[in-house]
Order: sequence, then structure tokens, then C-alpha cells
Amino acid sequence: MKKTIVIGLLFFCFFVDAQQSKFPNLTLKNLDGKDINISQYNNTDHPVIISFWATWCGPCINELSAIHNVYQDWQDESAVELVAVSIDDARTKKRVKPMVNGKGWEYEIVLDDNHDLKRTLNIINVPYTIVVYKGNVIYEHSNYTPGSEREMYKVIQSKIKK
Amino acid sequence: MIKKLTCLTFSFGCLFAFAQEEQENQNKGILNIGVESNSQWYIDDNKISISEKDAIERFRSNSYIKADYFIDKWEFGVQVESYSPMALLNYSPELEKTDIGTIYARYNNTEIGLDATAGHFYEQFGSGLILRSWEDRQLGINNSIFGGRIGYEFVKGAKVTVLGGKQRIGMGFDLSESFISGANVEVNISEISNMENMDLNVGASFVGRYENLQDEYPELDKMTNMYSFRADASKGNFYAGAEYVYKSKDAIVEGTGGVQTIFEDKQYDGNALLINFGYSQRGLGIDVNLRRMENIGMFSERSLSGNTFNTGVVNYVPALTKQYDFALQNIYVYQVASSTSFYPLLKPGEIGGQFDLYYQFKRNSVIGGKYGTYLSVNGSFWNSLGYNDDLNIEEKQVSSGFFDFGRKYYNDLAVEVRKKHSDKWQSIFSVMGQYYNQKYIEDASGELKTYITAAEVIYKFGDAQSIRVIGQHLWADGDKKNWASGTLEYVPSLKWSFYIQDLYNYGNDKEESRVHFYNVGGAFTKGATRIGMSYGRQRGGMICVGGVCRWVPESSGLTLNISTNF
Repeated sequence: MKKTIVIGLLFFCFFVDAQQSKFPNLTLKNLDGKDINISQYNNTDHPVIISFWATWCGPCINELSAIHNVYQDWQDESAVELVAVSIDDARTKKRVKPMVNGKGWEYEIVLDDNHDLKRTLNIINVPYTIVVYKGNVIYEHSNYTPGSEREMYKVIQSKIKK
Repeated sequence: MIKKLTCLTFSFGCLFAFAQEEQENQNKGILNIGVESNSQWYIDDNKISISEKDAIERFRSNSYIKADYFIDKWEFGVQVESYSPMALLNYSPELEKTDIGTIYARYNNTEIGLDATAGHFYEQFGSGLILRSWEDRQLGINNSIFGGRIGYEFVKGAKVTVLGGKQRIGMGFDLSESFISGANVEVNISEISNMENMDLNVGASFVGRYENLQDEYPELDKMTNMYSFRADASKGNFYAGAEYVYKSKDAIVEGTGGVQTIFEDKQYDGNALLINFGYSQRGLGIDVNLRRMENIGMFSERSLSGNTFNTGVVNYVPALTKQYDFALQNIYVYQVASSTSFYPLLKPGEIGGQFDLYYQFKRNSVIGGKYGTYLSVNGSFWNSLGYNDDLNIEEKQVSSGFFDFGRKYYNDLAVEVRKKHSDKWQSIFSVMGQYYNQKYIEDASGELKTYITAAEVIYKFGDAQSIRVIGQHLWADGDKKNWASGTLEYVPSLKWSFYIQDLYNYGNDKEESRVHFYNVGGAFTKGATRIGMSYGRQRGGMICVGGVCRWVPESSGLTLNISTNF
């Protein structure tokens, strides 16, 4: 009985209009302890890259370091903003601030230490990258391999020219 | 009854949400769905075989489907889990068949600061040292609480949360016999008092467990309580924080061979002190963590204390060491017992600390080169608390002086250098030394020293092609002795990647145990979808995520992982 109801509900919900926006009303802290409501990125007039990472994730650091090298050029051209969501839990969270500063990253860093946002967006592994622009998800990718940041930026360039 | 009520609530909720959406079409709902499936087909080979007990089912699979629907200020979600025909090796036997894992409805109105949830929920108070409910599928942890939670932000920057319920200890409606209640206050003082140049947060929490075992153990209190007080401050480039947790007296629980025994005549209280401070500026970061803890472990049922599957953990007491990237750095992983125990060895608690240093050699300097060079150094030392040799149970006190150090459990020191040499080349080089007290950490015997080196080189070419090569070596003066490892990864395009890896325990004193743990695999990634497949041997030992570990046996076979969301 229970199963039937749930499965029925699931299917029922499938028929609800497909959404444009992606981020629910969820508040997380940034590195300065300020509240950041993730839903604010549903409707921005510049592209926003939401990148999930952790201090212990090698490919994540490779990705954010690769973007760091070209971030200034990207910002000048497209006003793109990168929000790096750290999924470090209490064990490694304290490493985030010194690591970010040590690497000179200028991203907005958001702390998702009990994985509320990660769970909400059904993200299984980091790195995981989502690009939103004017309320639409224009790019989404799990994992990072060298060079995929260039592919992502090509998509951003093609959308802002339209 | 509870199940029926939940389902009813959920269905009304969904209907209500749908109805509401009909009315205000401009405010569309958001539906997020996630699917994950991890399967393994265990195939024995001439070196590696799984136990007879495990071999009753050679194909095993863990799958999860999760749907969350957000509409206006409402949120509804359900997760269905399937461990069919059986869960992967060494997951809790309570995880079986197909059933609801979690289900909830939530009203979250940020304008008036009210946030209310009914059903299963995840929560963390402070650093989690007093309460953390979370999900980690790799570890088989889902200790969500089934009940109710209300959060209210009475002014911007000051929030109160109260909650109560029973903890999930198996599938979604297999709940603990106890009742967990909790309350938490968080105040951002700098926000309330408009402090400009300083950031100050304070918090306090209570967590209580009601478990009535008095029929069998008349000496045990029905309530066990924990209290936490904490503060975090930062000013300019400096920051510091501290947390103190107290736990009221509780019976010692000893586990042997998977059976936990409660000793009602041995009752002790517990406490933990966590201190963190650091300094960071552009190009430099320093961080120090210190912790002392004594008998602070809390489980939603006493009889679950210290169980190997982490079932029913109420608070989060991770080992505070760095989570290393390379495979051989993760063979001897420090773990920590959160509760005091006497058998088979006296473990009164833990005291120690860790530090991290990050430094960037500037671009266009001698060491920095064109792109800069990144150095990180970290180290940790962990000892048992100093203890009374002439231990008198009547004193209800195991440890001696508050800051006395006892036996050495673990220490490590590691240096890592990352450098991008050109558009095509980049490298990571790491060296590490470690002391590991196997007798006390694993309840095994012996102690050992290890030295580990690892080097990784990435070469990029073409549009998005790359080759990654990793070489590692571990020298150990005990246990299984030396290991060597090599990995080759080839990424032909953005969608595909392939790898081959070998971990070879060539130094093992027993010749028949000098096993190659090889793996070959590939992955396909497109958008939110990832499909990975590999064939090879899994080294037996600890799989650790966030300082919490799960033991897995040696095995060999075929692995398939699929995940997607839409």
C-alpha cells in the first residue's frame, strides 16, 4: 500500500511542468559567516558557475586552479561569477579558508558542511559544475578532466552572444 | 500506523502543492530527481576470494532514487532505497530489500524566519560534536531522525532550532527504541550589534536521549543528556574558535565479536574540548586544531555503542587528520574510538592536534615560475589521555590530569608541492612520514612507521585530451611491509576516461600474500550522468569518508556505478 502511494506520487510529480530554475530556497554561510541564499542565482543577468568541491578532492583543486589562471580574462569578457560550494564537513571545513587564501582564489566560497545543497541537487560526487544564466541551466557536468573548463567557457560565450 | 500517517501527510502535501501551483502559474515549482546505482559482481580468482558466508550472493547492488519537489515555501521529498538481491559487502545487514529510506514535508518561510519539517530530516548542531545526522552512501550511513523539527529566526542573525524524533537505524521505518530530543541556539553577535570590523558567532545546544532499559538494568538512567557551548571569532586575517561538550554519565559498553555488552556498574560522564585558530592572507594560510575528548560517544541505543557499521551514531567524532588524495596514503588511516573502553585494551580517550600550512610562491619568482608554485605542509599527533594506573572504579574517573598525555596513537607529517609548468604540463609531488599504533587503533598487534612518496604528472594535448601518470611507494617496518603502485589514466575526450592501476604489496613477508591489486576501468560522463565500470581487485581495509570509516573485505570482480539527476 505504502509503496503504491509513493510510486504513484512520484509519477504524479513527473507530470508537473519541467522547471527552468534549479535552486530552491536554501541558505548557507560564506567564509565570512554571511548568509547566502542559493535561490538568488536562479535569475541573474550574468552567468554564474556553481562548482562543488572539497579540500580533499584532487580533481576539484585541479579544476578551480585551472579556472583561477584564466578567471580574470573570463570576468573581463563575460562578467561570469564563480561560486565554489565546499562540501567539506566539520572534519576538514577549517582547512577551507587557509587553502582558498593560500591558493589566492577570488571565488565566492559557500560552506555546505552538512550537504544540504548537495543532497537537494542530487549530486553524488565532486567535482560537479552547474552554469546558470538568466534562469536557465546552460551547462552541467560531473567530474573534471583537464580542458573541460575550456569547453564550459565556450558554452558560456555562445549563450551570452545571443 | 506511523507509516500510514506519513504517507497520508505526504500525499496531501503533494496535492496541496499541486493545487497551489495551478493557482499561481507564474510561480513554478522545482522538481529535482536523482538516481544512483552501485553494483558489484564478485568473482573469485586464484588469489582473492570472498568468505563462504558472503558468497551466498555474488551479485549485489545498492540503488537510490530520490525526488524532491519545491513549490513556493513548501518542499516535499522521498528517497526509495533498494538493496537487492543483497547490499554490497559489509554494509549493515539491516539494509535489505526495497523500501522507503526517507520521506518528509517542509515549510520554509525565509521572510518570517520559520522553517518546519515533519518526517525524516538531517541536522547538525555546531561542528556536529553533539549532534549530526547525515547520509553517506559510500559508508552506508543514514542516521536521519524521523520526527519533527522547527527552526525560528527571531531576529536576523539569531536562530533557535528544536527537534525530536526517533533515529533511523535500518531502512526508513526501522527506528531506534529511544527518543532523541534537541535544541540549538545560534547567534551572530556581529550581525545583531552591527560590529563592523569583527565577526563573532556564539552557540549553545542540548541533546537528550530517552532510553528506558530499567527492567533489565535498574541502575541506568532513562535520560542521557549532552550540552555544548561554542564561540567563533575572526578579525582581519586572524580567526579562532572553541567548543566544549559535556555528556552526563552513561554505562560503558564493550563489544566483542559483534556483540555489545552493557556494564551498568561502570558509568562515567564524558566531555570534549575542541580549539581551532589560524591566520590567512593572500598566498598564505595557517590553521591549527586541538582536541581533547573523553567518553563522548553517543548512540541512539546503548547496545549500538561502537558497532562497526556506524549504525545509530548521534554525534560526529571524526579522526582529525588530513584526508589524503593518494591510495597508499590511505592504507594506515587513523581512526578514533569516541567512547571509553576497558576491554581488550584500556582506551581512556584522546588528546592531540593537527596543523596545516599553505603557501604560494608568487608567479614570476624563482621558485614560483610562470604560474606560481603551491606548497602545503600538514602534520598531526594524537595520544591517549593520561590515565590512572591504580584505576579505582569508585572514582568514576579514568583519566589523570586534564591535559596529561598518555600512550602515543598516531602522528604524521606530509609535504606536498603542486606546480603548473606550462600549458601542457603540471605535477604534484608529495612525501609523508607516519607513526601508526596498530595495536590500539585496530585492536590488532604491533606498531609501525611508514614513509610514503607519491608523484603525479598530467600532460595535456589536443583539444581536451590528457594523460595522467601516478607513481607511489610506501615503506613500512611492520605489518604488510612495502607497497608500490602505478596508475595510468587516459582521457581521449570530454566524455570518456580510462585508467589502469596496480597496488602491489611486494614487500609482504608471506610470499603468498604478495598480491597485485590491479584495476582497469573506464567512465562515461555527459552532463549530469556518469557511468563507470571497472574490473579488478579491491584491497581489504578501511574505506573512510570525512574521518568516518567502514571496513571492507578483500574482493575481486566487476563494478558498475551509475548516477544521474534531472
